[in-house]
Amino acid sequence: MDVTIEQVRVLSEMQGLSLPEGDLENVALRLSTWLTAMEQIEVEMGAEINAAEPIPPVFPREEF
Amino acid sequence: MAATNLTYLTCIEQAKLLKTREISPVELMKESLDRIDRYEPTLKAWITVNGEQALTKARQAEAEITAGKYRGPLHGLPYGVKDQMHALGFPTTLGTRVLDAHEMVAPYDATVIKRLAAAGAILIGKQNQHEWGKGGTIDFPYGQPRNPWHPDYDASSSSTGSGIATAAGLCSFSIGEDTGGSVRGPASCNGVVGLRPTFGRVSRHGGVMAGYSSDTFGPLARSVEDVAAIMEVIGGHDPLDVLCSPRPVPHYAHQMNGDLRGMKLAVVREIAYGDGVDEEVVAAFETSVSVLREQGAIVEEISLPYAKWAVPLQMLSTDADVASWFLANYLRDRYDRFDVGTRTRLASSALIPASVYNRAMRARTVVRAQVLDAMRKYDALLTPTNVTPPRLIEAAQESLGSADDVIPKLIRRRIAHYPFSLSNVPAMSVPNGFSKDGLPLALQIASRPFGEGTVFQIGHAYQKATDWHSQHPDLQKTLSVA
Repeated sequence: MDVTIEQVRVLSEMQGLSLPEGDLENVALRLSTWLTAMEQIEVEMGAEINAAEPIPPVFPREEF
Repeated sequence: MAATNLTYLTCIEQAKLLKTREISPVELMKESLDRIDRYEPTLKAWITVNGEQALTKARQAEAEITAGKYRGPLHGLPYGVKDQMHALGFPTTLGTRVLDAHEMVAPYDATVIKRLAAAGAILIGKQNQHEWGKGGTIDFPYGQPRNPWHPDYDASSSSTGSGIATAAGLCSFSIGEDTGGSVRGPASCNGVVGLRPTFGRVSRHGGVMAGYSSDTFGPLARSVEDVAAIMEVIGGHDPLDVLCSPRPVPHYAHQMNGDLRGMKLAVVREIAYGDGVDEEVVAAFETSVSVLREQGAIVEEISLPYAKWAVPLQMLSTDADVASWFLANYLRDRYDRFDVGTRTRLASSALIPASVYNRAMRARTVVRAQVLDAMRKYDALLTPTNVTPPRLIEAAQESLGSADDVIPKLIRRRIAHYPFSLSNVPAMSVPNGFSKDGLPLALQIASRPFGEGTVFQIGHAYQKATDWHSQHPDLQKTLSVA
């Protein structure tokens, strides 16, 4: 997903962030990178993701 | 390489001399402080040093040891901590310009600090770091940290000063913090041993961190034995940290017998031989694998195809956790006071939709399951700690100019760290060679949850067969280049 500078401007305003013009492209690039990766992850792992619980591994329950 | 002197001895070697009173804690402390005076103007490993207080405590330690009240192997050793945990009497700067002076006053000692004090270790000061412990700082408020092997090179992030100070013999050991590689990266780039413990093994109480599902405190030292000894002191249950494990801490020394016969290890193909792995790194890694085989280990190669997704998944989950904290604290009203590298990272993570965060957390579970499945078949997994040798400072900065910068600047330096951060398993970096430019390279050993003993066993056996960890930077040469 290519996030545009205008989209970053709107989203950041929704979060109460006022980003300077000089930062917008950098933020858009980073956000695009991670959201694009997630699209690829969904393609590769989608069914497994559906079956998994979103539980952070802070109380390991495995046999180790 | 410089000749070994007192400050380059390992903790265990220094401890033997202190216990038998061949040296005194005061002598060792003075040596450390003298080195800080000489080399700190170039290296910028520290934010705050209190030499007077450290010398007072060294005199107390000397009196105790003389009176026969020896507390153990850390008694009288000078150490430093990444400036991300509270220590009474020292400001907690977090390496940022965001905080005002009155907001840096430490309210109490972190549990790690208390435990080290009880063991007789002496805190010299707080160490330089990337802002708030987030990698990616471009302009350091307390000075540009420099690699002690060559001042033009990066010393990694984010426990940067902790790696530099330990490698340069400015202290006996350091405590860093590792969310996504912040102990292992500096350990690798500076040529020391660094451990990310299992999440829950070491109390986080007194740390200033917001990646609640991934943050860990871990030691950096000049040998595996040292790291094990430190872990015996700082590990263990703490009721002040609700996520701290009640499991007892083993006596790790019993496992470090140098014998790897019967142990099954696996090289992670996607990390060790993936795109962009430097050929010098591969060569050093393969030599390390041969050494472990000679020690009796069975080493095979495995595939962890989901490991490649660890970096984006950590960014989409833990970084979003962190960003949510900063949205409520400072990011909205002090945005301009953040370094540009930190604030753009936090801002982008603050815009991740909750639905994507949820999917990333689920996917994290899937990736972790793949890592743990491998660990059911093997005692430990092996990779290079970093897939490239240390880079020039400017080349290592996360100053994104275009999409071409994403892989080399955002992903490649994290690719070997994040699969084990995301899985919350112990992972240790051990020096395993040098690049043609004389910069340190390292081997990463990861094991099962609470498998620190296995990691130490392998690392110790490796260090018995090699001498990479015994080589130290020639700081006079470093000063002459700077």
